[in-house]
Parts: sequence; structure tokens; C-alpha cells
Amino acid sequence: MASLRPVLVATLGLAAVALLSGADQGGDAAPVPIDQGLAARGKPLYERFCISCHGPQGDGHGYAAQWLDPMPRDFTSGIFKCRSTPSGTLPTDADLMRTLRVGIYHTYMPPWAVLGDWNLRALAEYIKTFSPKWKEEAPGQPIAIPPSPPDDEASRKRGAVIWANNQCAKCHGAKGKGDGLSVPTLMDDWGHHITPFDFTSSDARKCGNTDTDLYRTFMTGVSGTPMPSFADSLKPEEAWDLVHFLHTLRQQE
Amino acid sequence: MKLRVLVVAAAALAVLLPGSAGAIPAFARKYNVACSTCHEAWPKLNDFGQLFRDNGYRMNRGKDNPVEQNGSYWPIAMRTTVGYQFAQQEGVAVAEPPGTTTTKTGTLGFAGLDILTAGALGEQMSWLLVYTPGLGSAGFGTGPADGDLESAFVGFHRLFGTPFLNIRVGKHAPDLPVDEHRILTLTQGYNIYHFHPQGSAATFEPGNNQAGVEIYGHTELDALRYSVSVATENDAIFSNNWLSSPVVWARVSGRLMLNNGLLPEIKGGIFGSAGWHPVQALTDPASGDPVSGTAYSNQPYQKFGADLHLLFFSTVNPLDITGVVMFGNEDQALITNGTRSAQWVGGFVEVNWVPTFNWAIVGRYEQIATTQAGDPTAVQNEGDLTAYTLAIRYTMEFSNRAAVTLVLEGSQVSTTTSGMQPKGSTVLAGIDFAF
Repeated sequence: MASLRPVLVATLGLAAVALLSGADQGGDAAPVPIDQGLAARGKPLYERFCISCHGPQGDGHGYAAQWLDPMPRDFTSGIFKCRSTPSGTLPTDADLMRTLRVGIYHTYMPPWAVLGDWNLRALAEYIKTFSPKWKEEAPGQPIAIPPSPPDDEASRKRGAVIWANNQCAKCHGAKGKGDGLSVPTLMDDWGHHITPFDFTSSDARKCGNTDTDLYRTFMTGVSGTPMPSFADSLKPEEAWDLVHFLHTLRQQE
Repeated sequence: MKLRVLVVAAAALAVLLPGSAGAIPAFARKYNVACSTCHEAWPKLNDFGQLFRDNGYRMNRGKDNPVEQNGSYWPIAMRTTVGYQFAQQEGVAVAEPPGTTTTKTGTLGFAGLDILTAGALGEQMSWLLVYTPGLGSAGFGTGPADGDLESAFVGFHRLFGTPFLNIRVGKHAPDLPVDEHRILTLTQGYNIYHFHPQGSAATFEPGNNQAGVEIYGHTELDALRYSVSVATENDAIFSNNWLSSPVVWARVSGRLMLNNGLLPEIKGGIFGSAGWHPVQALTDPASGDPVSGTAYSNQPYQKFGADLHLLFFSTVNPLDITGVVMFGNEDQALITNGTRSAQWVGGFVEVNWVPTFNWAIVGRYEQIATTQAGDPTAVQNEGDLTAYTLAIRYTMEFSNRAAVTLVLEGSQVSTTTSGMQPKGSTVLAGIDFAF
């Protein structure tokens, strides 16, 4: 028994941390019931605009999916790349709406803003019907994003150190071109090969183009991909330093 | 009288030809989206498709330019309709016995063929070519004898970084209240786009593509649009001006999302044109024919109107009710024996019901009336027209590769000819497909 005590203490401690952190992230909050009326209005939108890629079951296996790289999102998993919520949690309605409005750059996901928020809100609700996760969990709480400190030389130098210490180059390459040594081994949660972002090529990123979008991506991760969340390892000011450092990669092109 | 019937028949034939351009499955293949992404019911564009077109055939997600495409992608599409068509025309003049008769033709065959290529060029350009080959062997008897480059333009988009300034140079479709090149019916077009008052010499028809320049712009999401086309009047003897036989077409339109389940969206616009057609020309000494480039004495004509579109119940599978009214005015010098200007008013009401993305039910009533004939001694309502069209379309294949639609359609048009109202009726059962 004595030998088990440290394990027990550690387990209870971890459980307490998980519960507390879960409470912070909204994971313990009651699930938000799906608005069936709204979802019903979203169904014809899905059938018209989404089904060819995401499939009738929402599993990302529409008839066009075989030609797409990256593959369309599998809604049945309840895993979404672009979120304001912590890693592992469901996105907010606003997150889903943002992706629907602006699309996902460098993919075949178009921007649907022209359909109007009235339609997109219904579409977002229908998308939730594909995964049981929405009935079991509440969306996560959006992370706080503090204002950016000055983007100066000192900040960029600190960011370079953070880039090195966190081994970002393993995936994104020494110059950020997305050609790191790990690239051949990188797979998403569905076993599809995935390519890290090339920070030198474009300002247009999958989850948004602004510095705030980039900060949010660092701190929430890109769920379903090898890109982790750095919320536990980076302080907010360090994440901003990293954002500022990435500006230098774009300038090196 | 025989000549008049022939003119009316020719005009009817031109309207009967299926609209060209329309759906372009090459885009569906390029972006791996279903046809229903851009078409409310193909070939009619929805809001997404209209914005895609306005953006120069771009989705702006880094996948538009030719260099982004697999080299095997070839941006070509084709469209035709095959099936059975029965046509009946009253009042056709015959020599023996002298008088008129009713013609009846039932034919198996196809109507029209469009070969299209379109896409984005570089960062800010686009192109569209539509070739309609000569179809002397067409079963419906409606195919043109000669091939034609129906559309040919290069577009320049987001000039100075703003969507408010785009230019298309070449043969393009004027911005119409309802695009005839994306019409849902095949046996009857929009007659107001092709109407001329009796005795008119002017040849401009906004339903036909125009060789010229279009300047257009729009807000980011097409809430407001404008378009101005400057062109040379189709089929006119070229006048000796810096821009021969000029015509200007303009339209301002908007759409408003009302965000309710009864009437979620309304659209509307105003449009108009002003053109100048020459009525004098120097002639060839041998043939006596007018010599192109010598015509003079340009005389004015105008068209103007308004349109309203009500989308009930849904913006994507709507009950879409459209009303268009157009007024026309032509200088007396353009009218044979004209002593006063010729004036007319026309319009149509069209109901499109799209209960699901693969069904479309279309009904249309159209009427054109002369309000003042240019020749006071002529039959005052000569050429006036009433038309009804009803169509049911079921799209059985709607993918990112092709669209195949079963069509059952009937139409009737009655055109005043020498004081009579002979009716022309057409029934079509066919398969409309594009690949």
C-alpha cells in the first residue's frame, strides 16, 4: 500500500488538475442542445453546398473527396482545426461561422460569406448533428488573447529562441518553408499525410491571416494534425514573440 | 405578308435557340464542387455563382490560377439538349392553295451545342470563349447554319485592388435583369430582349452578346453591383464613327438579405440602354449594297426598365418570383414610313420553384405591346406578343463532373401579324446535359 501511495496521490492530483482545467475550458459545462429547427433549415444548405466533399454522413467521404488534398473535414469526429477554444475541446459557434464565412486558404473549402450569416448559422447547427460529441460536451471557452506587445527587434529575437527551443523547425524547416526533417512522417488523425505550413510563401493561412489568428493557432493547436497547442508551454508574451519572429521568415523570401 | 411571317418566324427561331454559355462543368471539375454550388437550378446562377463570376471565376482560396492546377486539367465544357420536340405554327403563308396554313413538325434530335472554355488567368485576369458550331443537321431544325463565336472576352479584375472596378473586353453578355444565357427554359427565351417595333431598322438586342467593353463593379459580397457595357450594335452596317453604331447598356442592381423564413431575400435593379443606328450609307457601285464603314445619319433608340426578384422560403431552394418591365423608344427615322417615334412596353413574370436542388418548376408569362407605332397608318399592334412557358426540370446527375437534367416543357407564343394572332406552340421532352 505504501508503495502505491505516490501513484495514488499523483493520479488524484492529475485528476484534480484535469477537472479544474476542464472547468476552465468549459468541458464540464452542460452540452448545448442542438437547435433542431435551425439544423433542419441547414440541411438543404449542406446538401447543396457541402455534401460533395463532406459526404452525406458528414464523414468527409463525399464523392469529390478522393480528389482533394487536404481531405475534407470529418464532422463525425467533432475535431475542428480552426478554433478559439483549447486543444481537445469543441469550437464555438463563432469559430464554425468564421470558417464557413472565410473558407480555408490553400484548400478547396471556399468562403461562403455570400450566403449570409442567417444561412451559415443554420449550416453550422446542422454540421453539429453529425457527431455525438456535441450532445456530450459543451464547446470550450475561447482563450484569452492579450494585446500584442511591440513588434520590435528584441521581440523577434526572443521569438527566434522560442522557435528553436520548441523545435518548430523539425516540421516547418529551418527557414520556415514547411520542409522540416519530420515532414515525411507527418500524418493527421485520419492517417492522411499532412504538410506543415510554409511561412515564407504567403500571409494567407488556413485559420486566418492576422497576427491574432496566428497567436490563437499557437495557443489552441490545430486539432487533428501534429500541430500541438503551446498553451501549457508558452507564456502569452512568448507566443507574441513567436508571432513577431514569423514575420522575419516572410521577409527572408 | 409572307415576308412578315418569315420575319416573325426567324425572330421566333432565334428566341427558340437554347441559351449558350450557362453552366460550365469545367469549373465544377476544377474546384471539385457540385454544380449546385453555383447554380440555383442549372444553368441559373445563385448568389454564390454570381459572386464567383463577378470575381473573375475565382474562389480566392489560392487554387484559382492555372499554375495551381494539375497539368491534366483542361478547362473545356460542352452542353446540348437531345430529345423530342413538337412544334406547331399557325398562319404560315403558302402558295397553293393561296393563303395560310398551320405547320406541324415533330422531330427527334438535338438543339444547339455549346463548346465552352473559361477560367482564371494569372492573378487578376479571366477568360471565356463559347463556340457554337453550325448545326445544319440538327434534328429540331433550330440549329444555326454557321458556326459562331458566341462569347470571347478577357476580363481584368479588382483593378487598383477594389472589386468596384473590373473590365471585360470582347464579346460579352450585357448585365440583364435575368440572364438569358442561363435561362431555365429551352423552347422560349425572353422576348423583350429581342423585340423591335414594327418597321425598325435598329438591330441591337440585349439578349445577344455584344462586342465591346464592359466595366462593372460590386461590393465584396455583391450586395450592390453596377455594369456599363459599351459596344458596337450587332449586325449593323458600320457607321463611319470612331465607334461604329454605338450602344451603351447599363444596369445597377442590389440584393438584400431579410433573414426570415417567409421572404429571406429580395433583389432588384434598374437598367437602360441608348444606341445610335445609321440610316444612310454609301453604296457599292456594282451591287448597290451599303458599304460598311460609310454609314451615317445615326438615329437614336433607347430601352429602359426595372426588375424585382422575390425569393420566398429559402435563398438556396427558393420560390423565386421575378418581374421585369422594359420600355422602348425609337426615333421615327429608324422606322419604315415613320412619322413619329415608335414606343413599346413589355415585360414578364416568371416563377421558379426549386423545392430541392434537383427539381425546378418554371412558369412564365410575357407580354409586349406597342404603345405608339412609328407609322400611324400601319396596324398599330403589329408584332405585339404574348407568350406562356411552363417547364419541369429534374436533374438526375448533379456532380463535380457533369449535370444531366430531364426536361418537359411547353410554350406558346402569339404574335400579331397583319392584324391576326397566329399561335406558335412547342413541346419539348428531352435531356439537357453538360459535361
